Amino acid sequence: MSAMADTIHMPAETSAMSTATVRRTDMRSRGEPALWSLGGALAIGIIMILGFLALVFSNGVATFIPKPIIVVTGIDGTVTAGEPFRSELFKPTAEELAALSPEWQARIKDANGYANRTLYRLGNFDIYGEDFRWVPDFAVAKFEQPKNLIFVERAEWGPFVGTVKSFTIDGAEQAFTGLGATAFEKAHADARDRAAAIRKLERGQIGAVNHELEQERLKVRKVEISAGKTSAAYKAAQDNLAEVSVDLQRRYDAATADVTKLREVDARNTLTLAEIGGREKTIPFSALVRAYAANDLSLAQKVGVYFSRWAEFLSDEPREANTEGGVFPAIFGTAAMTLLMVLVVAPFGILTALYLREYAKQGRLVAFVRISVNNLAGVPSIVYGVFGLGFFAYVLGGSIDALFYPERLPNPTFGTGGLLWSALTLSLLTVPVVIVATEEALAAVPRSMREGSLACGASKWQTIRYIVLPRAMPGVMTGIILAMARGAGEVAPLMLVGVVKLAPELPIDGFFPYVHLERSFMHLGFHIFDVGFQSRNAEAGKPMVFVTTVLLIALVTLVNATAIIVRSRLKKRFAGSQF
Amino acid sequence: MNSNTAVAARIDTATQPTVYHVKSGGNGTVVAINDLCLWYGQTQALHNVQMTVEKGLVTALIGPSGCGKSTLLRCINRMNDLVDGLKITGEIRLHDEDIYARTADVIALRKRMGMVFQKPNPFPMSIYENVIYPLKVDGVRDKALLEETCERALKAAALWNEVKDRLNQSALGMSGGQQQRLCIARAIAADPEVLLMDEPCSALDPIATAKIEDLINDLAGQYTVVIVTHNMQQAARVSDNTAFMYLGRLIEYGETEVVFQIPKSSKTQDYVTGRFG
Ligand SMILES: Nc1ncnc2c1ncn2[C@@H]1O[C@H](COP(=O)(O)OP(=O)(O)OP(=O)(O)O)[C@@H](O)[C@H]1O
Ligand SMILES: [Mg+2]
Repeated sequence: MSAMADTIHMPAETSAMSTATVRRTDMRSRGEPALWSLGGALAIGIIMILGFLALVFSNGVATFIPKPIIVVTGIDGTVTAGEPFRSELFKPTAEELAALSPEWQARIKDANGYANRTLYRLGNFDIYGEDFRWVPDFAVAKFEQPKNLIFVERAEWGPFVGTVKSFTIDGAEQAFTGLGATAFEKAHADARDRAAAIRKLERGQIGAVNHELEQERLKVRKVEISAGKTSAAYKAAQDNLAEVSVDLQRRYDAATADVTKLREVDARNTLTLAEIGGREKTIPFSALVRAYAANDLSLAQKVGVYFSRWAEFLSDEPREANTEGGVFPAIFGTAAMTLLMVLVVAPFGILTALYLREYAKQGRLVAFVRISVNNLAGVPSIVYGVFGLGFFAYVLGGSIDALFYPERLPNPTFGTGGLLWSALTLSLLTVPVVIVATEEALAAVPRSMREGSLACGASKWQTIRYIVLPRAMPGVMTGIILAMARGAGEVAPLMLVGVVKLAPELPIDGFFPYVHLERSFMHLGFHIFDVGFQSRNAEAGKPMVFVTTVLLIALVTLVNATAIIVRSRLKKRFAGSQF
Repeated sequence: MNSNTAVAARIDTATQPTVYHVKSGGNGTVVAINDLCLWYGQTQALHNVQMTVEKGLVTALIGPSGCGKSTLLRCINRMNDLVDGLKITGEIRLHDEDIYARTADVIALRKRMGMVFQKPNPFPMSIYENVIYPLKVDGVRDKALLEETCERALKAAALWNEVKDRLNQSALGMSGGQQQRLCIARAIAADPEVLLMDEPCSALDPIATAKIEDLINDLAGQYTVVIVTHNMQQAARVSDNTAFMYLGRLIEYGETEVVFQIPKSSKTQDYVTGRFG
């Protein structure tokens, strides 16, 4: 009855209100300020990301472009030749100012006491003892770009800037007629082949001999541990070692003889360079990585140099304390570690999520576990590093060493940082991501599908296996992608559990058992840190930092893109036409 | 409906016992439901349901929306096990076996029954794989047998002509009605003893509906069918016995002709003549 009464009163009230006030929506109730701040937040985010990418890419992509060599003659007669690196404003000291001409003094005064100066990359570190030199604008008498100047990349001592005086082939001195001359190019190619041959001998044969000898020694040590020093078995093992050693020594001598011979040939093929001041330097031809006439390059040649530098960067080993050469071992290490991590984290995370979502009784305990898993994602990554080192390397690895590799002690095998422990540590770090994503994907599988399967007489496991998991796969993939991206970019914990500045060997090679999970490895993220902040000359490493960053970003993008494509393919399979 | 009349109806149905006049198929009963009560959490959805399903006959469940038809049907193959906070008292026997007994093998039980759900639920796989799914979970690998079963089931579900050229395409790309018939094909692929159908024709056109009804008629005799339907004519056409449910109670259960022509309960009378529902 009361409802009826309301409806009778209503019209009267409404009409009374409409005469008194006009209803209006103000800006705030329409949510416009909220919209602006939402849009603004998005815009700021996008600008920051784009700015970062633009900075990294412009620097990284430009690094390998060959730059001209400028010869600067100073007012005082000093000559500086080098690549202009960067310019900045600075405040000259009072003494410097006093020594200047009145025009310059006036100009600097106009600029509030600031003058411009340019940093030149000189090269020739072995002669000058410095890599870079600042040249203030006011100290310059003239700039030149002589066409005969050559930029030489060497295997040691960094680049050389100057001219080629002459070169010797097999002891006979030849006149230098240009970089493109057939004799010069042939000498360079031969020298490179020779260097490769030497490396192959050292890595291959000599490496194999060393490896075998080590294995034999370890066998003896093993017998010593198990049977004791006085046993007959130990005696036999030692005799065997002596026998094998003779053979190994012979092979070793043969290989080193070959190497010595090659080195002798190498020493007879040299290149004499002269810097701008006339001081000369003779280097073996094999130390020549690349030479180009920096001020006399056609566009095609520039492109050639650019791409050959990229190729070297991607496929070679680092030189010069990582500031030059390539990053192949770091790419390889990053890829191997990430792959291994996925192999661990994917099954582990998926199984955990399956149990939590499908089998565990949804009660307080499960809720607690779920919260803990989520919180794990917020623990600082260095803590995982400490845990990885303490638990995986020292406890687990130490036990493995004591059980399986007692003959190698006190040298640790698994008892120190390595590929396996790094992958496990990162798995621990990224497993929450996979668990959360998988759980969500499982929860999103419609109940009707599970019921359909169960009604067909399928067991719970069959339902999960045939219906739930395939259907949840796109979501699971998303989790794995996120985990991979996070893992590939993580550096801090790895510094504790196995990443090194320079790894002598790749984790996969030709010696049994081919995959060496205990080995330490190089990593792109750590490489960036190392080159940028730990090298002799931070300035020289800077371009490398950008290039490596570009590479790391590109790799992560590539991995994500593939995974996203796979995921959308999977998704398409499950998208129906039903509305 | 006015709340007063609803309360009156509840009191009314609670006090009045179920009216029975069941037609016997002469082969005994397959499913016997004995004093079944069911709660979803705190709310009771079934009240003391007592009925038997005759072997070889078609039994229809009718009643207004929300009266518990699906719930009762889903009890028979224990599909309600998946619901959280579900409580059941009473018993259901398949032949002589108590299906809610602690020792009952739910999977074996479900293998003896086929179920068509109210909403089509094809699996995200090909049409062929959908149909043979019950055989696949039984571990049947014989390709010839699987193909033959697939064809037979699809033909019975009046779907073969439409899909015979696209058996390997995803079932999710089919229309709603096609999906429903696919689910029917899947339910009968493994020759179940009892076929449980929850409004199998609600998404179908008249021709497909007629075919499904033919299928049900063909199956009757050999199989036992329990079908939930909102379509009175359909219930009248296909079923031997009809159970009328109202507010979680079984009001009347018996021979279809009697239920539709001279119902013994006034509630049933009101419903089948369209006075409420
Ligand atoms: N999973 C569930 N949780 C809680 N309550 C439920 C659940 N499923 C059904 N119910 C309730 O149980 C009652 C019976 O539902 P049921 O689905 O059996 O009805 P129905 O007779 O099949 O109706 P319709 O003809 O609309 O399909 C309804 O009141 C419904 O709200
Ligand atoms: Mg229903």
